[in-house]
Amino acid sequence: MDDIIAEFLAETNESLAELDNYIVLLEQNPDDINLVTKIFRVMHTIKGTCGFLGLPRLERVAHKSEDILGLVRDGRLHVQPVHVTLILEALDTIKTIIGGLERQGSEPAGSDADLINRLEAAYAAVEGGAGAVPPPIAPATPENEAVAPVAAAASKAEFPAAQDHPVAEAVAPAGENAPAAPAESGVASQTLRVQVEVLEDLMTMVSELVLTRNQLLQILRQQNQTEFSAPLQRLNLVVSELQEGVMKTRMQPIGNAWSKLPRIIRDISQELGKKIDLEMHGQETELDRQVLEMIKDPLTHMIRNSADHGLETPEERVAAGKPAAGKIRLNACHEGGHIIIQIADDGRGLPLEKIKAKIIQNGLASEADVAAMSPQTIYQYIFKAGFSTADKVTAVSGRGVGMDVVRTNIENIGGSIELRSQEGQGTFFTIKIPLTLAIVSALIVGVQGERFAIPQLSVSELVMVNGHGGPVVEMINNAPVFRLRDRLLPLVDMAQMLGLKPGAASADDCRYIVVSKIGSYDFGMIVDRVFDTEEIVVKPVSALLKNLHVFSGNTILGDGQVIMILDPAGILRVIGMEDAAEQIGSTVGKEADTLAGQVKETSLLLFMAGNQNLRAVPLDGISRLEDADYSDVEYADGQMVIQYRDALMPLYTCEGIDVSAHKSGQAHIIVFPQNGKPAGLLVDKILDICNYRGDIDMGGSGPVLGSVIINAQATDIINIDWFERGRQGARSGYATAQPPGKNGGHTYSNGNGQSLPRKHGERYPYAGHEGDADLQHSVNH
Amino acid sequence: MTKCLIVDDSATVRRIIRGMLEGFGFSCDEAADGQIALDYCRKGMPDFIMLDWNMPVMNGIEFLRHFNQEPKSKNPAVIFCTTESDSSFIQEALSEGASEYVMKPFDKEVIGLKLVQLGILDESAFEEAGA
Repeated sequence: MDDIIAEFLAETNESLAELDNYIVLLEQNPDDINLVTKIFRVMHTIKGTCGFLGLPRLERVAHKSEDILGLVRDGRLHVQPVHVTLILEALDTIKTIIGGLERQGSEPAGSDADLINRLEAAYAAVEGGAGAVPPPIAPATPENEAVAPVAAAASKAEFPAAQDHPVAEAVAPAGENAPAAPAESGVASQTLRVQVEVLEDLMTMVSELVLTRNQLLQILRQQNQTEFSAPLQRLNLVVSELQEGVMKTRMQPIGNAWSKLPRIIRDISQELGKKIDLEMHGQETELDRQVLEMIKDPLTHMIRNSADHGLETPEERVAAGKPAAGKIRLNACHEGGHIIIQIADDGRGLPLEKIKAKIIQNGLASEADVAAMSPQTIYQYIFKAGFSTADKVTAVSGRGVGMDVVRTNIENIGGSIELRSQEGQGTFFTIKIPLTLAIVSALIVGVQGERFAIPQLSVSELVMVNGHGGPVVEMINNAPVFRLRDRLLPLVDMAQMLGLKPGAASADDCRYIVVSKIGSYDFGMIVDRVFDTEEIVVKPVSALLKNLHVFSGNTILGDGQVIMILDPAGILRVIGMEDAAEQIGSTVGKEADTLAGQVKETSLLLFMAGNQNLRAVPLDGISRLEDADYSDVEYADGQMVIQYRDALMPLYTCEGIDVSAHKSGQAHIIVFPQNGKPAGLLVDKILDICNYRGDIDMGGSGPVLGSVIINAQATDIINIDWFERGRQGARSGYATAQPPGKNGGHTYSNGNGQSLPRKHGERYPYAGHEGDADLQHSVNH
Repeated sequence: MTKCLIVDDSATVRRIIRGMLEGFGFSCDEAADGQIALDYCRKGMPDFIMLDWNMPVMNGIEFLRHFNQEPKSKNPAVIFCTTESDSSFIQEALSEGASEYVMKPFDKEVIGLKLVQLGILDESAFEEAGA
């Protein structure tokens, strides 16, 4: 009898998962007779089966729920949220009982009298009102309960009425009604329940077979035509097909992981008083069940987050000019060997300022660092352990455990997660995960004569360096970097990292950089040789090596050699931590910053000034761009000024601009804050804004911060802070006024208004202030 | 060997009924709904049918209506299985040609006695099976 119970449990669990969704759908479409019929039948089947198995508690709850559903189906009860809640509660009770049954093999003790009473009351409200049948004996005692006058109530006339609308039943679980090709034994047995372990074993054995096949093929390649060639080719083909077939048995539609979501969303919306539409696309996208298991919880968590934090209350939404109902969109699709899952909401977006404040409060970065970070970098902090910006902890989420676990889980299976957010517009997560974990395509590389495998999924490109006349690896602060398409790529010397040889390689050696993208960070691994790609079977690393994060497993190559599989994410973690420990004094969580620092993205404003020179200033240091006319430029004691917002704003120029040459005509002014007051930089032409990836701080405290290559042109980065300091220097050093643009020795005319402080001290308070704490752009980080 | 077709949407119920019937020495095939059952019968009639009422795609009564239209080499007995809340259909099922009905849940003895009454099961075999 025990395995019958097991079968019942499996069957019922499947139906229950469906039922949750059906009922939520029913609330939205209370008149969908098709849906009601389905729900009714599932409940009916549970009840009927329970009778055979002697599960009275379960049977009673199912029976009473079925009665209510019967009324709905017969059109005698219009579904209200209260009914849905009642039915869902009954479902929960059924699940609890099923859970107990699963654990102890028998129905757990307990009373459902309260629920039964309410179900009966709801039933009686309709039946009583219709006056057809006296309400069933109210206070339920198990005895007077079982046999039902209730049954008769569903009068004969009405049931067939429902049946007269032949309802096109939606296609039921796959396989069950696949084109009828009845096998000899049992028409229904076209699907088969198989123990997961059996599939796992099968997979392991196929993996071994693949390895052996690879070995044989390797041998074959070294031989000339032999009598083994033909059968081995055949074997090769069959093994490939077998592998594919076995993989298929492990594939499950991602919809299985989503089936609980509508119910969760419904409960959250009820609890928080929000209106939420959940859209799901691509449920049928299949992926390995092992992967599916691992993303189930992260996905659920993220959906909860979106519903709880992401979406606003209907009032807030309407006030913000959005529809009252928030939308959460879930999408899955295949892309190469990956599954892409997108979770988008149209809620309030991530609160950038709040996150910044939290970063500083938690001591994860200094105020100056935070100010220099791009929003992208700041958003990454939500993936840190214990990081929550929720004002209050709700039952749903906001406990600060979560997004870090989400990221860890996803990265553990070789996936990545990215996010985009726009305050007021919503948040958009993209998760990329491999289809399967068991067999992966890997790049085989050589380091100091040893071979290693790097999963193809994490390799974005290969670059040959130090060849004759080719690109070279450069050193910045003793760290190797590579200029890849105008951005600096931090490098890891794998020989050094793996301890295969001490330090520097001879500069002329031709080597390779394996460029890898982990999350939003790119970095390169320097290797000596690149062999080819091979399908490898991932075997977990032994417990002894578990603490070495640089390896994710090992495998056997076609020639029989056992090699280690490198884990780029792990390597990143290891170098990140070390760097952090060296440079900032190790605080957990610094690793990402360190790397973010190395490939920092800076937005630059490009402009032309003086002799058609291309120049730039960091965008976050400036406040506005203004147009003016040269005729408005005035001089106050040698300081070039312009009227701006009812005050006089000092103007500076770059070398080579001869202001006196322009009596009139359009002038462009970059306005930046100087001790809390505006100041302007006069330029010839504003060109563009571009993002520069890499570190531009080259330690300059003079007028030029450093030079970078933008669009293949050398571009000076102007240090706007310098104008202030330059002024102070000038004030103490000179006593004579010079017209701007003529102080030849200086690169920049900085408006040497040395007489200003005394005469116009009140009008130009910024001239005498010390320090530049107010400036957003920090020079040294 | 006497062959029975068990028509029920619950795999668990099919399995339970199969257990009872095989105990009497019958061989059993299964169908998950009326349509599958009908397709099965068109390929070869069983000796009797255990028919559930409430099923997806095609329910028991609909099955009976179609089944009556089928040309048959032999006329299998149809035992209509219902729960008490379906009991209002018993009359209809019988008028549509069901030979017997049995109320779910039933045990081996109840179904055994029905089969003896229908002449499908020998009384001696019934005694022997010791239901």
